[in-house]
Amino acid sequence: MWGRRRLVIGALVATGTVVLLYFLPLFHVVAMDRAGRRAAGAAFDPVAIVERFWTERLIPGATRAVDAVELVTAMQQDRKTARREHGRSVGLGDVHYYFVTGTGRVVSVETDSVVLSLRDGQPQFQVSLETGNVVGNAVRDGTGLLNVNDFPNSQDFNALSSEINRRIEQQVLPVLRKMAAVGVTVRFVGCAEIMDEDQDLRRLRIVPFIVETP
Amino acid sequence: MKQNSYRMFSPLVLLALIVLAGCGGGDRAKPATPRVAVIISTLNNPWFVVLAEAAKQDATRLGYDAVVFDSQNDPAKEAAHFENVIASGYAAVLFNPTDAEGSIANVRRAKQAGIPVFCMDREINATDVAVSQILSDNYSGCVALGQHFVKQVGASGKYVELLGLVGDNNTWNRSKGFHSVVDRYPGLKMVAQQSADFDRAKAMEVMEAVLQANPAIDAVFCGNDAMAMGAYQALVAAGKDKQVKVFGFDGADDVVKLIAEGKIAATAMQFPKLMARTAAESADKYLKGNRDLPQKIPVAVQLVHQANAGKYGDYGRRDAE
Repeated sequence: MWGRRRLVIGALVATGTVVLLYFLPLFHVVAMDRAGRRAAGAAFDPVAIVERFWTERLIPGATRAVDAVELVTAMQQDRKTARREHGRSVGLGDVHYYFVTGTGRVVSVETDSVVLSLRDGQPQFQVSLETGNVVGNAVRDGTGLLNVNDFPNSQDFNALSSEINRRIEQQVLPVLRKMAAVGVTVRFVGCAEIMDEDQDLRRLRIVPFIVETP
Repeated sequence: MKQNSYRMFSPLVLLALIVLAGCGGGDRAKPATPRVAVIISTLNNPWFVVLAEAAKQDATRLGYDAVVFDSQNDPAKEAAHFENVIASGYAAVLFNPTDAEGSIANVRRAKQAGIPVFCMDREINATDVAVSQILSDNYSGCVALGQHFVKQVGASGKYVELLGLVGDNNTWNRSKGFHSVVDRYPGLKMVAQQSADFDRAKAMEVMEAVLQANPAIDAVFCGNDAMAMGAYQALVAAGKDKQVKVFGFDGADDVVKLIAEGKIAATAMQFPKLMARTAAESADKYLKGNRDLPQKIPVAVQLVHQANAGKYGDYGRRDAE
């Protein structure tokens, strides 16, 4: 009699505990990368933010880009002055960016770039437009249109770079690759990231976000 | 009569002594030299010791008494340090948080008590509590590391990733920067991704376990140099240090030396002394009335590999710091 009552009570307690833990679990097991995404903020949607940024600010903001011939001329005269007048840096360090536009004739098509001549017969006025994988923060930081202080979590700010780069790879570079043939004239707007002036200023490597035939 | 004078005089002297003692006590409560607290996530890692010592030296140079507190990667200890700092009337806090979310409350309490906080190296996920946050650009640094990784390892191979603390933004910014490059190469297969909490001993244990399950790997990417050292030790013990390329992040002296010797492939130099100096100088400006300080100050990191390792040392670039 007592044994049966104990069994019933035990079963009720066990059932109650299972029900309670089902609704109020003591812990959740999640994948590490998911934990990282949660830390970055569940409400943050880089695709939607970049969509709005692209149409409302980036494309209209292209008028602020410096002319490529003017920039290359300034660099050839004095790198420091060119950097001070036309460059942009974020925080502390030697990395800086140029927001640049221009029109040039295709002189060669490489595996991951298209080389344009801004002035015929003057090799010093050549620039490269990237056509391979786009990585880094050239467009996010080069335009000056996005501010790190508007994003409490830097993971969110970095997610914008990934999304901008993805969009350029999917929407801009296929157009460039298609139109790029030696002799064709291309107008572009984009950004260049300079980490090592000796190397990166030999020929500006520009990540374009607008390419068109004029 | 004379005795009466003494009787009247004694209470007056006593009263004067009490008043004087009271005045003296007030002076003692407010120290002549303002104090700055340097609260660091852990001192069980040489990189953070450099950050702490540099912050202390810079605060001292600027005329403050500086005291270092070690949170031992424990948010509860960090909270206790903040209680102590607030109760003791420190003028400012130079802060290296243990947790991007969990540390916000501590900074908020300090702000409410009128004590400005300046974050160093690690971020908190709020832009309205700390005065400034001086942070390495971890994402860009790991983009550069990822590009070097592909150059060194090639477009195909098997690799392992050792992550830092999963609650820290630096962990994920580094990992995502690295993967933003390496994931473009389908031939590069990540066979294991595990956290070793930025800790050398844990990294060694994790690497030993990973090698048991995956004996044929080509590289290991570590979220900091302490873990790179731990992974390297495990590889040496397993006799695989010559076939597996190790990549770290920080620019710790021992790793830079091993890169120069060709034993570790690469790291990314953060600049702890520059971050500490910027934090201390920002605190000094703030305490002198400047309220025009940026919330976030990203600090660029630089790729260190065998060809340029000689330019780096002592937690910075030899020709710059």
